[in-house]
Amino acid sequence: MAPVLDIRGLRTAFATAAGDLHALDGIDLVVNRGEIVALVGESGSGKSVTGFSITGLLPAAARVTAGEVRLNGIDLRALSPAAMRSLRGRKVAMIFQDPMMTLNPVLRIDTQMTDALRAHLPLGRAEARARCAAALAEVGIDEPEARLKMYPHQLSGGMRQRVAIAIALLHSPDLVIADEPTTALDVTIQGQILAVVQRLCREKGTALVWITHDLAVVAGIADRIAVMYAGRIVEQGPVDAVLDAPRHPYTRGLIDSVPASHPKGQRLPQIPGRMPTLTELPEGCAFAPRCTRRSAACAARPDPAEAAPGRWVRCFHPLPGAGG
Amino acid sequence: MGALLSPAAGGRGVTQAPILEVRHLTRLFGAGGSLAGRGLAALGLAPPPRPVRALDDVSFAVARGEVMGVVGESGCGKSTLGKIVAGLMRPSSGEVRHAGRPVPAGVPRGLDRQMIFQDPFSSLNPRKRVTDLIGEAPRVHRIVAPREVPAYVAGLMERCGIDPEYGDRFAHQFSGGQRQRIGIARALAVKPELLVCDEAVSALDVSIQAQIVNLFMDLREELGLTYLFISHDLGVVRHVADRVLVMYLGRVVESGQVEEVFDRPNHPYTRALVAAVPRLDRRRVAYAPIRGDIPSPMNPPPGCHFHPRCPLATARCRAEMPVLRTVAPGRRAACHLND
Ligand SMILES: Nc1ncnc2c1ncn2[C@@H]1O[C@H](COP(=O)(O)OP(=O)(O)OP(=O)(O)O)[C@@H](O)[C@H]1O
Ligand SMILES: Nc1ncnc2c1ncn2[C@@H]1O[C@H](COP(=O)(O)OP(=O)(O)O)[C@@H](O)[C@H]1O
Ligand code: SF4
Ligand code: SF4
Ligand SMILES: [Mg+2]
Ligand SMILES: [Mg+2]
Repeated sequence: MAPVLDIRGLRTAFATAAGDLHALDGIDLVVNRGEIVALVGESGSGKSVTGFSITGLLPAAARVTAGEVRLNGIDLRALSPAAMRSLRGRKVAMIFQDPMMTLNPVLRIDTQMTDALRAHLPLGRAEARARCAAALAEVGIDEPEARLKMYPHQLSGGMRQRVAIAIALLHSPDLVIADEPTTALDVTIQGQILAVVQRLCREKGTALVWITHDLAVVAGIADRIAVMYAGRIVEQGPVDAVLDAPRHPYTRGLIDSVPASHPKGQRLPQIPGRMPTLTELPEGCAFAPRCTRRSAACAARPDPAEAAPGRWVRCFHPLPGAGG
Repeated sequence: MGALLSPAAGGRGVTQAPILEVRHLTRLFGAGGSLAGRGLAALGLAPPPRPVRALDDVSFAVARGEVMGVVGESGCGKSTLGKIVAGLMRPSSGEVRHAGRPVPAGVPRGLDRQMIFQDPFSSLNPRKRVTDLIGEAPRVHRIVAPREVPAYVAGLMERCGIDPEYGDRFAHQFSGGQRQRIGIARALAVKPELLVCDEAVSALDVSIQAQIVNLFMDLREELGLTYLFISHDLGVVRHVADRVLVMYLGRVVESGQVEEVFDRPNHPYTRALVAAVPRLDRRRVAYAPIRGDIPSPMNPPPGCHFHPRCPLATARCRAEMPVLRTVAPGRRAACHLND
């Protein structure tokens, strides 16, 4: 069976006064049915642009310049905008950090949800309403009938996000892209959302790309991890392999920066410097200016190499694997 | 109060008065309500608007050189507490004492307590160059002789990891991490004794966060600073703080040594909070979160504020508010289960 999502060599550029700047430079990513793949990286690494490139929601200044994006084997780049719109919501849905990207502030929840449902399904009002109430209950909202009559501003942030998730899942899409949906939420509310999303993926076989900068969240829910740096995936593999024995120096540095992995009060190992902006991208390995393992070879561009089955690393001098 | 003063961690014996002591601090917001609300209430068309009790009878003490963490979810009153301690806001009642002396409420604030914010950008004047942002206060307050200000500023920039070459630039020309360094250098310029850090590393990427956390720890060591370290990130607080206050809806529900509190929480809310924090070493977690939302502080549940979400709540919890009391040496909690 074809994977739900299959991305090869994806490149996306922003048109700027300084010419085309590539925010994505060769993304390869496969997500299978029922799988949760985490796309991790610090701000500006290209996580959101990846999500927008897949769902066809790129801002006007940006365009995909190369590569393939296949959903259930269908080449999304070949689709007309109308065909893409019809796919969105039905086959692929996106959840954003700010639920108000999904919700309309001036419409009641029931109006928004039944519209979203009836856009792709010929349902009567009553039936649509019943389905919407069921969808709210499924994401853990109490008294769904009462909530349906409310406006977004009458709900807490966590509840708004759950409504946005319920809308994204209305048509049981094959693929959901979740772009930092819990970043703005408190941990107890984040826990509720993680529980909901985890359960729905497992029960319905939805493929999920969970975008986050938080490695700890990834550890708890993901099957596989792809680590992004400056528009490239620098390492990917099964969650345990990547977190317990990272091969790329940046992944190692990210894990080491998390305070919880160190005895209290000890100085944290820090990665010097910061991520380059698109105009400052070095030739060759973009991590080189911050990397302690760099050599003359790193002035060239490292390509992804399969270090172990399902384990890809983009580095000329990867760290030794678990076995030494 | 004395019982709160367990010797500070890290072997710093404490003999003098605590550098910071907060007594029965309460802060209400919007007691008057909106104009429309008051009008309707006056006409008997709406219930009288309730004030938000952002802080409710908070007391604690911090020893010199100690780092006191403050954790809790959004809206629990952390920033309100921080602003009052830093002298940027008046309490509705209660008092703040500095080194044993009562601090007159509100302005003008002392230089010995400075605040560092989550978003240094909004607190840095965009029209001023970095050298002025950092050098203005020491010049005005004669912290150093006028001739020495440039060298003093360059020294601070260097110490905080900003290249003094960049002194002529404006704040917006720096990355988030660099702006936070500027904010820290500016706070240090007046030689404070106490820094209130309000989510000071929360907006930063983890690799930059590590740099700034290290800077805070180094400065504490070098300058003998005391911190009130506010963060919703329990991992960061565990790493930098000696003791911690756990807040819920304006009240301290638990306090004590940070490892004690996080590893062996007493209060059911602390337990839920600690359990909800994702950790690198917890894989394929089956999240079983606590139910319900954080209630509105405008309308807090009666009795124990946590009872609607508490799996252990009893009838008493719905009627009677538990008091914060000592449950073990250096450890306080507010829960009826301790009776
Ligand atoms: N100026 C104000 N006017 C009215 N209400 C306020 C004001 N400032 C704070 N509050 C209310 O007081 C309560 C505590 O707010 P505070 O900002 O101290 O919370 P916090 O713990 O810092 O939250 P966060 O984690 O979101 O920063 C909240 O209910 C808030 O809405
Ligand atoms: N509208 C835009 N115009 C120009 N550059 C942009 C725009 N949106 C994003 N970028 C750039 O693309 C890169 C990746 O951004 P993004 O995908 O938003 O990062 P992330 O989601 O990982 O934080 C960054 O360098 C960012 O500055
Ligand atoms: S390719 Fe070279 S510079 Fe880049 S991460 Fe690997 S060792 Fe470091
Ligand atoms: S007092 Fe009662 S409701 Fe409150 S935390 Fe303790 S057991 Fe739970
Ligand atoms: Mg993003
Ligand atoms: Mg705050």
